[in-house]
Amino acid sequence: MLGAAAAGGLGLGTFLQPCVADELAKNDKQVLLIWLDGGMSQLESWDPKPNTEFGGPFRAIPTSVPGIHVCELLKHTAKQMHHLAVLRSVCTQDNSHSAGVARMNRGDPKNRGVEYPYLGSAVAKLLGPTSSGMPPYIWIKPNSGGFKASDAGFLGAKYGALALGDGKPPDNLLLNKSISPEEDELRNELRRKFNDRYAVGRRTQWTDANSYVYELAQKLMKRDDLFDESSFTDKDRQRYGTHELGRHLLLARRTLETGVRFVKVNSYHWDSHGDNFNASESLISQFDQPFAALIEDLHQRTMLDNVLVIVMSEFGRTPKINSHVGRDHWPEAWSIAMAGAGIRKGVVVGKTNDQGTFVEDKPYDIGHLFHTWFKAMGVPPDKMEYDNQGQPLPVAHDDCGPIDELLV
Amino acid sequence: MFQKVVCGLMATFMIMSVLNADERLLPAQLDERVAVGFAGQPPAPLADDAEFLRRIWLDLAGCIPTSNDARHFLDDTDPGKRSRMIEQLLAAPTYAQRMQELFHVVLMERRGDHEKWKQYLYNAFERNKPWDQMVREVLNPDPQDENRRGAAFFYAKRIEANGQNPIDHPGLTRDVGRLFLGADLQCAQCHDHLFIDDYKQRDFQGLYSVYLNLAAKSSPDIPAVTEKPMKKKLEFISVFDPTQNETGPRIPFGLEIPIPEQGKDAAPVSLLAVLASELPTAQNALFSRNIANRLWFVMMGRGLVHPLDLHHSDNPPSHPEVLDLLASEFVAHQYDIKWMLRQLALSQTYQRSSRYPVASANAASAAASVNVEQVRPQSYLLANEKRMMAEQLLHSTLRATGNLERLQQATVDGKPNAELTELTKRFVAAFANEPREPEDQINPSVKGALFSLNDDLVLQLVSRQSGNLIDRLLAMTSDELLADELYLSVFTRRPNNEERNELAAWLTKHNDRREKAIANWVWSMLTSMEFVVNH
Repeated sequence: MLGAAAAGGLGLGTFLQPCVADELAKNDKQVLLIWLDGGMSQLESWDPKPNTEFGGPFRAIPTSVPGIHVCELLKHTAKQMHHLAVLRSVCTQDNSHSAGVARMNRGDPKNRGVEYPYLGSAVAKLLGPTSSGMPPYIWIKPNSGGFKASDAGFLGAKYGALALGDGKPPDNLLLNKSISPEEDELRNELRRKFNDRYAVGRRTQWTDANSYVYELAQKLMKRDDLFDESSFTDKDRQRYGTHELGRHLLLARRTLETGVRFVKVNSYHWDSHGDNFNASESLISQFDQPFAALIEDLHQRTMLDNVLVIVMSEFGRTPKINSHVGRDHWPEAWSIAMAGAGIRKGVVVGKTNDQGTFVEDKPYDIGHLFHTWFKAMGVPPDKMEYDNQGQPLPVAHDDCGPIDELLV
Repeated sequence: MFQKVVCGLMATFMIMSVLNADERLLPAQLDERVAVGFAGQPPAPLADDAEFLRRIWLDLAGCIPTSNDARHFLDDTDPGKRSRMIEQLLAAPTYAQRMQELFHVVLMERRGDHEKWKQYLYNAFERNKPWDQMVREVLNPDPQDENRRGAAFFYAKRIEANGQNPIDHPGLTRDVGRLFLGADLQCAQCHDHLFIDDYKQRDFQGLYSVYLNLAAKSSPDIPAVTEKPMKKKLEFISVFDPTQNETGPRIPFGLEIPIPEQGKDAAPVSLLAVLASELPTAQNALFSRNIANRLWFVMMGRGLVHPLDLHHSDNPPSHPEVLDLLASEFVAHQYDIKWMLRQLALSQTYQRSSRYPVASANAASAAASVNVEQVRPQSYLLANEKRMMAEQLLHSTLRATGNLERLQQATVDGKPNAELTELTKRFVAAFANEPREPEDQINPSVKGALFSLNDDLVLQLVSRQSGNLIDRLLAMTSDELLADELYLSVFTRRPNNEERNELAAWLTKHNDRREKAIANWVWSMLTSMEFVVNH
């Protein structure tokens, strides 16, 4: 890549081709982040407290790991518990959606006057595309799609998310009919030549960024099969479910198989201030079925060793049940589940008290989790820093470290 | 009515009231002060005529010049031709058009548009309205004055109802601080800023208390707001400290303003009028420094204070003396934007090349030995490459491809050409930032790349139509003439020999489908960095 290697370590790191280091270029780790927006109840999922004051009506059921129980709403997932790790001592800082979403996605780095990237953009920057050359950050979400540059913060638009609204392809994905593939190659060859000439004597950061987005665009154009939902088998559709989150997690599986580095899947409407138990029964079941199928599939395809799977929200929900039979926002004590690359299998880490109101042993914040995940992904310690035009910025909270109990 | 007092941050930046004793022209003084920061490194040489011409057209006219304009300028032997070109562009109608587009994006940040607002901005720049007057009109829009009421769009759009969301009075408060004072008070909404000692919660809350009484009252045709009289002070607490505080209206970093007493029969006293008379003044140093810094950024591609909305004592300017001089001179020249842009354009800092000469045996100059990757944008050792706004890119693409005149002709019913409207929509969708994000750096995206690669209308521009570039090139009698016309039209320069040879070889190779071959060459130029960046 033009100028990238030559410019390594010269203080313009933010804008370089992402894979500057050999060890990172060989890294084939991938990430799937499942974001349950609004806040999933830990008591109806990963940390049940049946027959207690705030426990609610659901039972706890045994899982494939002796001694570990989860809520009965996770009946499919329970059978995959031997692949999972659950952190039950999550204690975060924000009680509001806006602050919580931002902080959880950014890993709560200390404020240094810059807009930090979301996890997907951070990984796109630190690890770059996999050897597939596919765009490193794809976001599968309900409703509209597009290109979400804002996730990238100070890293700049090229690290933003390519959002597939309801799984649909982005605009202008198909090669224009008036251009033949041969012509397309010729015209891009010329474009590259003109760019090489332009870059002589200039800082290469913008030319590199420009070349990079064109390469991703061209790679994406060649993989329009990614968006063909009709090619899934009926059996897969049944296993994942035909509801939104089921379809989107099935598409996520294919997107990971295509070699996309980081896939985010969003599900909305988890903010169950009223009627929490009926809502949870409906929502958690919609999560449980495809999530279990996905874990099973990733394992069977031997992808789970490489794919880090994370399930989280902006916070958990209050143990106390409000007068609308709902649970409100609760960052004090909740759970985050994960599996795959670098993560220990079949463990629960951390503990809440009997009522589920507070963390009983050491509480962990999102900063610890970011360290844990970056380590699981194999980001070397000396790459745990961005270079924002000369301003060194740690990629995760400086006062935190990884949670070793979660790591292999 | 109340004391005009400045305190805190403002006092730090008091504008010197003494007149500038240095009799040399301002551009030379600026260059000298910028050069202090070179620290022994050689700056890049001045841009050649072609590089200068493209840059000044993009900055002052919002578009590249035609091939004929470029040819005339390059062949002109008058040593004063650069200053003449600057004057010509400042006097042309395209100046107001460019400034309208620029300031629309700066002030509205892609939230949406309004005919009356566009008209207001256009008229203001056409008459070269002083900046302080414009800001007064924006801060206190007059619904009665037909020529000025479009200014209400700045407020009205920000506080319009948006579904179930609360009216965004905090967002409006923040933007007034950011855009007119260069101070982003967002964090100070809920507590004194944790990392910027200058930004206090009372500074946010005091301005916010005024805007809480503001409501949008737009009709479809006319943006407007109404103001309720303020009855009592605004109470607030910090999220870190439960002490109850209160404040009346306040210009950020200024003293509290007493709540006006409302007489029973008299017309209500408007706090917007108070803001408008107190905020955009020469006594308010941040007001002058903010706009001086923003105009510098427009021309030089990097704020002296950067980010542009973080003026505070822990984020000093890269060149404090330059900003001091600019701000005080701007005040001394009654906030005359055209004057300021002229001074900046005349400086060597502006006219420097965006590249260093390449080291070679016979070009062993000091500049050729500089490691360009290590040159920081705030050094101004070379001209910073600047983002082209979606509008600049559209106009320039249309001009380069010879489609601008055709599309700018209004249709019979006086409406804008439908193809132009659609193209504008698509270029903005592909190349503009998302709403509420400042467009302050080059921002390549996969979205923009896919658009350039595959959009129908873009590809139509490089297909032959009567009188457009492809049509003209196909009529050329020699490859030599063709190459000249092509490079002058698209890159605003003549091709070098290497490029001539490449093009000739390309045309020979694809002789059986010459039209397509030329179209592909043009497309590749249009999508290359030399075209999509203002360098």
